[in-house]
Amino acid sequence: MTRLVCPFCGARELNEFEFRKTAPQSSGSALARVYLRIDRPDCSIEHWQHALGCRAWLLVQRNPSTGAVASIRLLGADATRGAR
Amino acid sequence: MPRPHPRYDALSLLQARFARARYWRPLWGGRSLREGYDVVIVGAGGHGLASAFHLARDHGLKRIAVLEKHLVGYGNVGRNTTIVRSNYLLPENHYFYEDSLRRWERLSRDLNYNVMYSPRGVVDLALSDDDMSSLARRGNAMRLAGIDAQLMDAAALQRFCPQVAPHRPRRFPIVGALVQPRGGTVRHDAVAWGYARAATALGVDIIEQCEVTGVRLAAGRPVGVETSRGFVKAERIVFATAGHTAMIGTLLGIPLPLETHLLQAIVSEPIKPLLHTVLVYVFPGHGETYISQSDRGGLVMGGHLDGFPSYTREGRWDRLEDVVAGAVELLPQIGGLRILRQWAGTNDMTMDGSPIMDRLGYDNVFVNAGWCYGGFKAIPASGAACARFVATGNPPDLIRAFRLSRFASGHLLDEPGHGPFPVRL
Amino acid sequence: MRSSSPRCGLRLRDQPLSFSFDGVEVPAQAGDTVSSALLAHGIRLIGRSVKARRRRGVLTAGPEEPNALVTVGMGPALIPNVPATQLQVRNGLAVRSQNRWPCLRWDLASLLQAGGGLFSAGFYYKTFMWPSWRSYEPMIRSLAGLGSAPQACSLAGASLEHLSCDVLVAGGGPAGLIAALSAARSGARVVLCEREPALGGELEFESALIEEQPAMAWVDATQTELEARGVRVLLETAIVGGSNGQVIAHAEPGGLPGNNTLYRIRPTQLIIATGAVERPIAFIDNDRPGVMLLGAAERYLARYGVQVGRRIVIFGNHNRLYPAAMRLRAAGLDIRAVIDTRTPAQLHDSFVAGLREALIRSGVACLLGHVVTAAKGRAAVSGAQIAACCEAGRASILSASRHVACDTILMSGGWTPATHAMLQEGGSAQYLDEVGAFIAVEQPPWRVAVGAANGTFELAALCRQAGAAGLRAARSVGKADCAPAEASGRGDPQPDVVAMWRAAASRADEKRQFVDWQNDVTVADLRTAVEEGFCDIEHAKRYTALGFGTDQGRLAGVLGAGILAELREQPIEQVGVSRLRQPYHPVTMLSLAGLRIGNALRVERRTPLHDWHAAHGAVLEASGLWSRPRYYRTSGGAQVAQAAHEEARRVRTHGGIVDASTLGKIEIAGPDSAAFLDYVCLTRAGTLKVGRSRYAVSLREDGMVQDDGLLLRLAPDHFRMTTSTSHAELMLSHLEYWRASEWAARAVTITDVTDAWSTIALAGPRSREAVLGVLEDRSRAAVSVLQHMQWTAGLFRALPLLVLRATYSGELGYEIHCPCSIALQVWEALVACGMAPYGLEALDILRLEKGYLTHSEMTGQTTPYDLGMHRFLQRSDDFVGRALLDRPAFHEPARPRLTGLRALDGQSAFLAGAQLVTIRDRSHPCGYVTSTAFSPVLGEWIGLALVARSIGLGESLIASDPLRSSETPVRVSSPVHFDPSGERMRT
Repeated sequence: MTRLVCPFCGARELNEFEFRKTAPQSSGSALARVYLRIDRPDCSIEHWQHALGCRAWLLVQRNPSTGAVASIRLLGADATRGAR
Repeated sequence: MPRPHPRYDALSLLQARFARARYWRPLWGGRSLREGYDVVIVGAGGHGLASAFHLARDHGLKRIAVLEKHLVGYGNVGRNTTIVRSNYLLPENHYFYEDSLRRWERLSRDLNYNVMYSPRGVVDLALSDDDMSSLARRGNAMRLAGIDAQLMDAAALQRFCPQVAPHRPRRFPIVGALVQPRGGTVRHDAVAWGYARAATALGVDIIEQCEVTGVRLAAGRPVGVETSRGFVKAERIVFATAGHTAMIGTLLGIPLPLETHLLQAIVSEPIKPLLHTVLVYVFPGHGETYISQSDRGGLVMGGHLDGFPSYTREGRWDRLEDVVAGAVELLPQIGGLRILRQWAGTNDMTMDGSPIMDRLGYDNVFVNAGWCYGGFKAIPASGAACARFVATGNPPDLIRAFRLSRFASGHLLDEPGHGPFPVRL
Repeated sequence: MRSSSPRCGLRLRDQPLSFSFDGVEVPAQAGDTVSSALLAHGIRLIGRSVKARRRRGVLTAGPEEPNALVTVGMGPALIPNVPATQLQVRNGLAVRSQNRWPCLRWDLASLLQAGGGLFSAGFYYKTFMWPSWRSYEPMIRSLAGLGSAPQACSLAGASLEHLSCDVLVAGGGPAGLIAALSAARSGARVVLCEREPALGGELEFESALIEEQPAMAWVDATQTELEARGVRVLLETAIVGGSNGQVIAHAEPGGLPGNNTLYRIRPTQLIIATGAVERPIAFIDNDRPGVMLLGAAERYLARYGVQVGRRIVIFGNHNRLYPAAMRLRAAGLDIRAVIDTRTPAQLHDSFVAGLREALIRSGVACLLGHVVTAAKGRAAVSGAQIAACCEAGRASILSASRHVACDTILMSGGWTPATHAMLQEGGSAQYLDEVGAFIAVEQPPWRVAVGAANGTFELAALCRQAGAAGLRAARSVGKADCAPAEASGRGDPQPDVVAMWRAAASRADEKRQFVDWQNDVTVADLRTAVEEGFCDIEHAKRYTALGFGTDQGRLAGVLGAGILAELREQPIEQVGVSRLRQPYHPVTMLSLAGLRIGNALRVERRTPLHDWHAAHGAVLEASGLWSRPRYYRTSGGAQVAQAAHEEARRVRTHGGIVDASTLGKIEIAGPDSAAFLDYVCLTRAGTLKVGRSRYAVSLREDGMVQDDGLLLRLAPDHFRMTTSTSHAELMLSHLEYWRASEWAARAVTITDVTDAWSTIALAGPRSREAVLGVLEDRSRAAVSVLQHMQWTAGLFRALPLLVLRATYSGELGYEIHCPCSIALQVWEALVACGMAPYGLEALDILRLEKGYLTHSEMTGQTTPYDLGMHRFLQRSDDFVGRALLDRPAFHEPARPRLTGLRALDGQSAFLAGAQLVTIRDRSHPCGYVTSTAFSPVLGEWIGLALVARSIGLGESLIASDPLRSSETPVRVSSPVHFDPSGERMRT
């Protein structure tokens, strides 16, 4: 069961959210970032957007074999101002 | 060695009818796992079984095993909407799928097993002049490659499939269609069973409930597979584990350009013949419904992927509603019929939507994967090409474009132009 | 014929109705179902089976009914396959039997039965392939299928309702009622769904007391209390599925579509009290009309006052045969025998033994250790063949058999808990020997089963279990105000089922031992499956069609598994059951389509000028989700081509306006916005001056061109981007993604303003006059000196708007961005200044003449190199898509390049979608035509194409269009067909 809780809007129905892509590998070439996936049946790290809500981008850790959500937070929440 | 299964013909059917004792034998199974094989194929789905069949029949290999975690045909070969066609745009794809379609046409006789190939036509509906142009682009490419295709305007479509009634007012008017008359449907389970039976008759060992858990290396070279039933030596290893291929990559430590997504299908209650072709209806706002009527009478429908990675085989309900909404808009006359059940398959989606047939990390490890949601129709060609690849070491021309290196080289086979996203961003 | 005096039953009202069955009037009473009325009227033959065309009657009293499916209505809008057991009689209802020709009594195709096992499992796979399946398929298809196909549908759409609650209780039998009561008394918000039109479930016929009240009185009181406590009680509403914690329920009042509702329910806790489905037993000819489930007979009696037969044989394997026999006997049915398969040693309930004694005393033959081996009679049951079984619960060798004359055999092989909703999203099935069935275990914390659905049949235990579950559910949502419902109950004895699947039979007779009625699956079929290696339940299911019926095997799935286990000589636990799929009950497609029917399939998007267009002769067409003018009838031509040519010509000679409000508009602001845009676009933003705009292209991460538009710098840290109509959402997500990920730490905000601003584009030699004509004097000066790609603020009737000098047509042109609220006034003012509106067709001609791109060229398969955007790639810094742009394949001669096309003869037409081939090689395309149009200013057909780079400008190709039977020699040209130097737009 996949139940997403938006950090801004709270628990909302799944159809408000869009899965956008699997989180790219943090290291590696551009080719790897764009195309390659480490696929584990127990853990998938994904980018979702609360598209029909506040449009926040979310970093979601999920178990694709059960759908259970392990963690959910704002994408880029750990970035600090001027880090780039 | 168990007795081979009797050949199906008028005589055997008569004998069976009047036999006092048990006449038919198990189609497959009854073999015990041997110590080692020339080729171990992982996955007894359509692709794995077809590969085994062709390795044995076309290349004379004797020691072949197909190892299956669950049961023959338990995966996607029995969880699709049974459509076969070769109406692809890119030459690399349409030549391959046309080879497959030609094999479908004679598969029942090749396997001596009725897979019920029904060339009832596949109709891609056009809702705008733009749609007509892009369907024409695809159809013209097919025609130049010698593949059957017809572009129909609304009047011609009305004659071909009156049930669609193109002139009926709709939210998105139907202006025409691209039709591939030789496209159609095949009884999906029969494909797995037919190949399993034919491969067994050629001496292939099909071992069910034998899960491959790893690949054993000796001196850096794969020498066999670890299974739930112990180690099995293998000269060559073929992974044909659609829906779980990405995990295989992870098993070997090789990331693949694959994600695993769910695709649902639904079927209505059975009714007398209503629809005599396969309709593909793609409409704005991410709408898609394809629909055909099975020989048993149920209307079989499918649409988009569920939209996020999943191994659950349990689809999301709202997707069903949208598929049905498309079906009712297309064929309002079916609005009072009932949906009986849903099912889902796990699809290994590649980052350009086209398959991967290549070596995987090692000279003697092959992968036959990434069929996205089109794997069923590919089975006969895939089996033949995969077998030739594995037996000779050289990929036949037909599958050369399906190599893994295409992502790095840029020789992408992105049929719809969606880019590296299984779900369109 | 039965007596015509009114019947009494829980569900009946004293109001006569009548309907027709196969054209014959049948009397009924309000509250009757079609099956109860037919049975009351003595009609037992109701349909024919689909494969063997055997005569069939009513088997059940519920939605699992496999046989008594009828077609409602006559004309094209008929509704097939409606279970007569669910269909409530209304006056004038016309129902017909199915699968018979010419009539129910005499069916031609039933002659196929002569072939006996010809159509047994697996037969199709072994034959019908010479010369091809196609030669047999039409005939086989016409025999398959249940009812006729509708040709039309006259039903209204369904309603949709969203509900949320603390506790959702599925099922309004004793367990569901007690659970709901317990949760509601604790203060939880409760919704209760019951599939039947009335609450009570088994209590309708069970001899039971709850809280020392007669059961049905208690049910009525409970319903009153539940409603008083605000519990929403939904009758005729079945739980049919759900996902991700949402539960879907479906209501089809009266058992016929037309007034349906689909509920999307979001409960915190889900209590499943859906009861259990009584199982049949396989014996020879157990499909004859007159063979029925025991529970069905009790329901017909209690609900509708129908005696399903006169002389009855009861056959089963549990304690409840005896109280049922007592009740039926008390109602006047002649119970000839009660055949219990259990041995005397297995009957250890003293209360039941007492009932049995009483029955024997009153002359009923009660046999233990016996089975019914066969139903006798051809058209309907005339007797039961009975034999002793030597080994209880096993289909073993039988002793000499005897015959009992009867007209009805009521069978009961135990119950299958309705666990389907428990096996979704976690949960697994476990076999319980004492129940003789599978129950669901390993449940998530938000879901629990109670009562028969959980294998608990005895009322006292069930009451305790359900009360506790309701309380637990309420507690888990923080409610536990007062004492829970501690209902005490006393009812029928614990069943003590001893599993028994079938009576022994010879191989030949196994062909008449039915396991799945609807698909004519017999024990022989299962044997064939096992012999051919289809031993696994999933394989056997697919090979024999066991459980593929409209009930998905709820009725007989476990029976099939049990027989399979017997044939495999393994315990049933190892066989398992096939899992039920959503929807658990068939759901009408209109209910699933819900609000998305007709024009609401997708909500139409309209610009603020939509009504003006419609009122001024625009022919509107769907463009994506938008409705846009294709051309205007007022433009001087009835045909699209004539009108569009006139509109395009007028732009070049005079001027015209087009509604471009559908373009995406996104504002990017903040100190880092320029740097951000530099990164996410191919086009440089940082070097753009305030007051200017630039053609903006963005790439996908893989280097392909994603979209183009204009980028305006409104202020040093404020930009507005326009996108193409079709890619507006894509571009918004694209920008938002990069902002949220790599640029999260930077100061950039992104706002979609698509729906705030209208865009009106005007073009043509007279466009400057027009734009100045509508602006206030004080803003004219700035606008009159605007250079190409510059913008300025303007004032229209004291309201601010933005004027950008830009063009879609290569003419002098302006784009006015104004708040949607004043769009109509601006538009009308421009029209008054002589600007004539033009539509998409003319727009397409104009852009094509200039070689401007659309999504026909930006297909997602083309790189910036392919589209001639080399000049943008003269950058040394990083941007999205750069890293993968230099892949070798992108620079091969076979890659396409954007070119123009002209017909060699200067007049022939060629169409978009034609493939381009060389004269030497006509089967391998070297490109294709992306778009074409007849250019009114040039007087000939022009086109754009993507052609292999190895083909040079000026070369001749053939536009090959076999689909439309045309081959046109064409010349490759520059993509800019008109005014190549761009003088006109710079005047």
